Amino acid sequence: MTDTINMLNKILDDTKKVGGVESAVIVSRDGLLITSNFPSSDSTRAETFAAMSATMLGAAETATTELGKGTPDRVIVESEHGKLIATGAGPKALLVVLTKLDAGLGLILVELEKAAEKIKKIL
Amino acid sequence: MIETGIIKLDDYLMGGIPNGKSLIYYTHPGVEGNVFGMQTLYHNLAAGMKCVFVASSSDPTMIIDTFKEFGWNLETYRENLIIVDAYSGLVGATSNEKYIVGDPENIDSLNETIEKVIEELDDKSVIMFESLSTIMDLCGEQKTLDAIKNWNTYGMLYEHVLIYNFTAWPYEPETLEHIKHNLFDAVITIGGIAERVIFGQYFGVLKAEWSDVKLKSMLFRVLRPGGIRIYIPKIVVTGPFDAGKSTFVHALSTRAVSVDRIGTTVALDHGHVDYKGFSADIFGTPGQERFDPIIKMLSGEAMGIFLVVDSTNTKDFVRAKQMLEITKAYGLPLVIIANKQDKSDALKPEEIRKHFNIPDSVKILPAIADKGVGVFEAFESLVNKITEVA
Ligand SMILES: Nc1nc2c(ncn2[C@@H]2O[C@H](COP(=O)(O)OP(=O)(O)OP(=O)(O)O)[C@@H](O)[C@H]2O)c(=O)[nH]1
Ligand SMILES: [Mg+2]
Repeated sequence: MTDTINMLNKILDDTKKVGGVESAVIVSRDGLLITSNFPSSDSTRAETFAAMSATMLGAAETATTELGKGTPDRVIVESEHGKLIATGAGPKALLVVLTKLDAGLGLILVELEKAAEKIKKIL
Repeated sequence: MIETGIIKLDDYLMGGIPNGKSLIYYTHPGVEGNVFGMQTLYHNLAAGMKCVFVASSSDPTMIIDTFKEFGWNLETYRENLIIVDAYSGLVGATSNEKYIVGDPENIDSLNETIEKVIEELDDKSVIMFESLSTIMDLCGEQKTLDAIKNWNTYGMLYEHVLIYNFTAWPYEPETLEHIKHNLFDAVITIGGIAERVIFGQYFGVLKAEWSDVKLKSMLFRVLRPGGIRIYIPKIVVTGPFDAGKSTFVHALSTRAVSVDRIGTTVALDHGHVDYKGFSADIFGTPGQERFDPIIKMLSGEAMGIFLVVDSTNTKDFVRAKQMLEITKAYGLPLVIIANKQDKSDALKPEEIRKHFNIPDSVKILPAIADKGVGVFEAFESLVNKITEVA
């Protein structure tokens, strides 16, 4: 199991290397923090952050599927200080990244999709 | 005494409208008030009463169609229904009705027909005016006010019940005051609100001479088919992890969705209930502590709370009490659901009560949510609490 976490951490660290990405988190679909590379000062808040990310993505998925519009690829939240992107990573997990305010989304989204695919295979 | 057929309104009126009395549905423009008089008329037709419908804004076929939208078939009761046609004369159409008002723009012509109908009715009946506003527009305010006085006196003499639909267009202020306070035995006001986020339509009793029940306004919505439903915009279902909240919401609802992942609610359950004259939207919260911010957010503006507990799981009762704090349930109508009563080690409601420091007025009701047992009893209990007539 530690192997799994190590593999997941590697994926997160690779994600963090993409320009503009500040931190990345893997969350179980039911809202539990699996692993993150949040700065350690933020670790207590990571739990709530994980739960609310699962809430957002879950609610978005239900909202669109209820309307027959299929499953959304991701939820992007833009705020004053940066962006939050949550995307499904297989049936068990989701991947969430926080970016800088001026981060360009193009490359980030491509890398996120790759990372999500890897997570899906590992879990 | 006749019933209005409108849930809760009959409670306000202490059973309904006594014979010989008059009642006006006083509707603010832009609100669906006409359905009140229609529902009262249909309710009494269906109860076997003889009814008179004074048609001033539509012809008899249109009237039958309009009732049909609500699922009310007037033709079934046609022999008990007299339509006074005060419309065809306006548009120069012929009419097959027995009572026809020759000149609807002349109050004497209308008056004459109504007096004749009242005299010829052999039973105590319900007489309903489709639109008093139309009569005022056609015949003038003062003349109509005088005529109403006459009709109500006639109604009293012959012990009929008179029901008026009225839309309060900008008439003379004295006219409106007179209608609200002097002319009728009972005045039901129907209006709209835009209070905080909930937009809704309400009705309330402005006056009812025979009833001393206190005024309280009720939200309603109009269903086609169906008619008037008391509307409860938000009932919250909360409780500890795995207690059966989502199961409860689904068992109760005609339609429901849950945002569940891996067997637990991560966002909310939402369901709609249409039951015994009540229409309610139900919001189920997650149960696990990491979702507390969501639980707090979902419970804003709740009109009542269900607290669902797993009756076998006493160690979660502390969490249950904490959730009552989070949802600010104290002070709101509250019903506790003692769920999973099918399990052999389930505590009975009285035993669960010992673990909660709650007043006796808060009911604890047994349920088996996954079999649908007890859920509607619980719903009735809570909505009655929410809409309690003081
Ligand atoms: N035996 C029994 N099981 C029940 C009953 N009601 C619900 N369950 C089961 O209890 C489990 C949890 O039900 P849910 O409705 O998901 O519980 P919940 O309170 O919504 O759970 P969370 O959203 O995770 O907090 C499910 O396996 C249900 O089938 C009941 O009356 N009796
Ligand atoms: Mg649930």
